[in-house]
Amino acid sequence: MALGEWISESKNYIIGVVVLGALLAVVPYAVGFDQYTILLLATALIYGIFVVAWNIIGGYAGQLDLGAFAYISLGGIVSAQLLIVYGVTPWIGMFLGAAASAGLAIIIGIPTFRFGIREVWYALLSAALVVIMNNIFHMPEVLGSLDHYLPSFNGWIYLKFPTYENIYWFITIALMFVIFINLMISHSKIGYYLRAIREDELAAEALGIDVRKYKLVALAAYASILGFMGYVYIVIQGTFSYHTFNAPESIAIAIMGIIGGLGSIAGTLVSGFSLKLLGDYLRGSLGATIPGLHLLIYGLLLVIIGVFEPEGFAGIYRKYFRRRGRK
Amino acid sequence: MTDEGIVLEVNEVVKRFGGILAVNKVSFNVEEGKILGLIGPNGAGKTTLFNCITGVYRPEEGKIIFQGEEITSLQPHAVAKKGIARTWQKVRPFKNMTVLDAVVVGALLRTNSVVQARGKAVKALELVGFPEGKYELFGKDITLMEHKKVDLARAISTEPKLLLLDEVAAGLRPHEMEKLADILRKVNREKGLTMIVVEHVMRFVMNLSERIIVMHEGRKIAEGTPKEVANDPKVVEAYLGTKPL
Repeated sequence: MALGEWISESKNYIIGVVVLGALLAVVPYAVGFDQYTILLLATALIYGIFVVAWNIIGGYAGQLDLGAFAYISLGGIVSAQLLIVYGVTPWIGMFLGAAASAGLAIIIGIPTFRFGIREVWYALLSAALVVIMNNIFHMPEVLGSLDHYLPSFNGWIYLKFPTYENIYWFITIALMFVIFINLMISHSKIGYYLRAIREDELAAEALGIDVRKYKLVALAAYASILGFMGYVYIVIQGTFSYHTFNAPESIAIAIMGIIGGLGSIAGTLVSGFSLKLLGDYLRGSLGATIPGLHLLIYGLLLVIIGVFEPEGFAGIYRKYFRRRGRK
Repeated sequence: MTDEGIVLEVNEVVKRFGGILAVNKVSFNVEEGKILGLIGPNGAGKTTLFNCITGVYRPEEGKIIFQGEEITSLQPHAVAKKGIARTWQKVRPFKNMTVLDAVVVGALLRTNSVVQARGKAVKALELVGFPEGKYELFGKDITLMEHKKVDLARAISTEPKLLLLDEVAAGLRPHEMEKLADILRKVNREKGLTMIVVEHVMRFVMNLSERIIVMHEGRKIAEGTPKEVANDPKVVEAYLGTKPL
């Protein structure tokens, strides 16, 4: 892909992302380094990354993947265990975690796409993957039933800090990278091909698109981003166990992606960030009195979006601006 | 034997579905730059034959040779890369992409540059006479006739040597058919593009092609000029049944 062409094609977006990054970077100062707020925001931002990554497989390629935490947790646990057992820094471990997740995606993806498993069947298969991984890691030879803790050392070399602002900044930078990857995909040949596959696989194939190959590329890209971020997710959580392979949260990521708007980077980012923030805030404030309220709200939003605005947040935004533009 | 001027050679192709012989030892050649008509009543095996040529189905027997190269068991995307494009009996639009983007997808087969592909896509849309003000409309917002044009432009933008048209006239009004036939003639003339036109509507294909093949129950029963074919008793029988005694 011609890099110069990509830059000229998506100049405005690149400027937008840089501005967004700068704004996000000053937030810890704005909230006076309030640790609870920064933790909430960091968690919401990392969900933003997950949902924007999901946009590659779910939004562009149109495969309803419900297996996000299979890749997040595998990558995270690989990186964490490398640190605990062999003392490997996460700066290396995260890349190996990403490679492990991409490897899992390819092992799953090749037969899945070879046999043309799509739509609800693909959704079920990917959801089952999380449960299978959960069970594998539950075995005593793997993680067993215990919670595992990261070593107590702190510092940039472990990406682990006594306070949350550094990991927040790290996530902000990672988010910018993930948005760039999305932009690059969206504005290049592969993005056009993935969208064509989403619209009509047979027609895409007849236009010379190797449908299986491109789906596999999308799945591997999504999985490696998730696998890379897995360690950071574990740092924020504090512990990991077989429970980190979380099936309901994997579905939540797909729901956030749909509510945000398939194929829209801004839509999925806003959706992932705001819904996770809202959910965690509600859990923190009303979790004791009305447990599960955030799930109810996700569900309601999904219904409302489905009925009134199937294109999600992105569609609402587009409509609003189109209307203003016409005046 | 690679005859000069023969683009596609279909040789004794057989395709079965269970016990049904959908295509039964069909052979024919397609000459470069010509429009070949392929007609026959419902269930004659025309679309199945198309699907065998484009790699959607794998024929059980026989060979398909394209520009001197065997393509019999290639996958559809590989066949497209070799230079065979097709349109669909029922249009298969990219509903949530703009018209221009849909055609860009086709053009990207021969280039990695989106900018270049866009230039080619615009040319293809101009060639088929798609209204210029509508390039940014979504696939779900255009009419059937416009869909047919987009389908055609999408196929042309892959820069094929051979274009297979599967019942392009289906669902169109008579005056729209006339227009479409004009467009096809123009594409054939300006690009020198070889075509196979599968058709139900006899008049449409009779006006378009110099040579016609007639299929019936999986077999090729006649081949010749439109006039010869129309007067062939076997063809009349296939379409209308036998004369009462």
